[in-house]
Amino acid sequence: MKLKVLPKSQRKHNHYLVLEIKSEEELSKNDFTSIVWDSCVRFQGENNTSNFNLWTIELIPNEDFSFYNEYKAILRCQRDFEDEVRSSLALTYKYNRKAISITCIGISGTIKGCSKFI
Amino acid sequence: MFTMFDLNIKGNSYDKNLILAMQASAYGWEHINFSYNQIEFDNALTFKNDLKNELKDVIDIDYTLIIESNNPSEIRKIARKYRNKSSCISVLGGNLKVNRACVENIQIDVLSKPYFKRYDSGLNHILAREAKDNNVAIELVFNDILKSYLSHRSKVLSNFRDIYKLYRKYEFPLILSSGAESILDIRTVKDFKAVFTQTGLTFPEVESSFKTAEDIIEFNKDRKNMILSGVRVVD
Repeated sequence: MKLKVLPKSQRKHNHYLVLEIKSEEELSKNDFTSIVWDSCVRFQGENNTSNFNLWTIELIPNEDFSFYNEYKAILRCQRDFEDEVRSSLALTYKYNRKAISITCIGISGTIKGCSKFI
Repeated sequence: MFTMFDLNIKGNSYDKNLILAMQASAYGWEHINFSYNQIEFDNALTFKNDLKNELKDVIDIDYTLIIESNNPSEIRKIARKYRNKSSCISVLGGNLKVNRACVENIQIDVLSKPYFKRYDSGLNHILAREAKDNNVAIELVFNDILKSYLSHRSKVLSNFRDIYKLYRKYEFPLILSSGAESILDIRTVKDFKAVFTQTGLTFPEVESSFKTAEDIIEFNKDRKNMILSGVRVVD
């Protein structure tokens, strides 16, 4: 039996971060998710990270020519914890011994609102 | 609203500087200084004007001289030599003698990384008071947090917190800079602020660090007209 969906007022409020990723290595959505969790757990600890309600919505490869593999991503996090998440992600610089850079270029209350940053 | 200043992006060749400046501009920075040490600085001056013209409509740029030496008398000599050529003179700290000589020298603008290769913050109440009296800013570099991990990162953060404590008590000028070496090290302004607020600074303190950086550049534009501290030639 499925749980009933919570009433709207009782649900968690989410915000969506639009991220720009530059990486020396090609990334899959799973790779990206593990990078996000790893960096948050490392910088904020397990207890704080449990508040963030992280979920990867989408990872979009950038087709333009560049020296690095470039991606844009939409990441869900809980409202009021945006600064914690963005600071953890900003401090990521290596994945599988290859350089990587993640920076947040936009923030929105809806997934639809993220489209203007992509 | 403050202008977003970064006084320490590691300078390189003309082309690499151009790419770095474009990326910084895209991420919301409004003024950046490329830093060169005393050996590279003269060579870098040869393409400064070309770089400035190329980036005229994109971002303000300038050069910082970063003095890397463990000899206080050599530091004084280099600072005197380059004072009129550079908009900002910074000294790489870490050595206690260097930290002390730097905060006592009014010709120096910034003491960068007083905690460099140390087990403590490299500052105490005496150095903090001297920094306040001589208007020497203390610089904390984002790249030190970025490029370290686990126990080393937590020690760097602990050193930062010790410096914040002295900063609140003695109110010396504090500046925050990225110390970026490649475009992978540059972050958006909001990310940069978020990291420092997470380490223990308040939001107004982070904002005022940008104002301090701007003040240093403004002060140095007028430095040649200063006869004594507090006395300025007005045409």
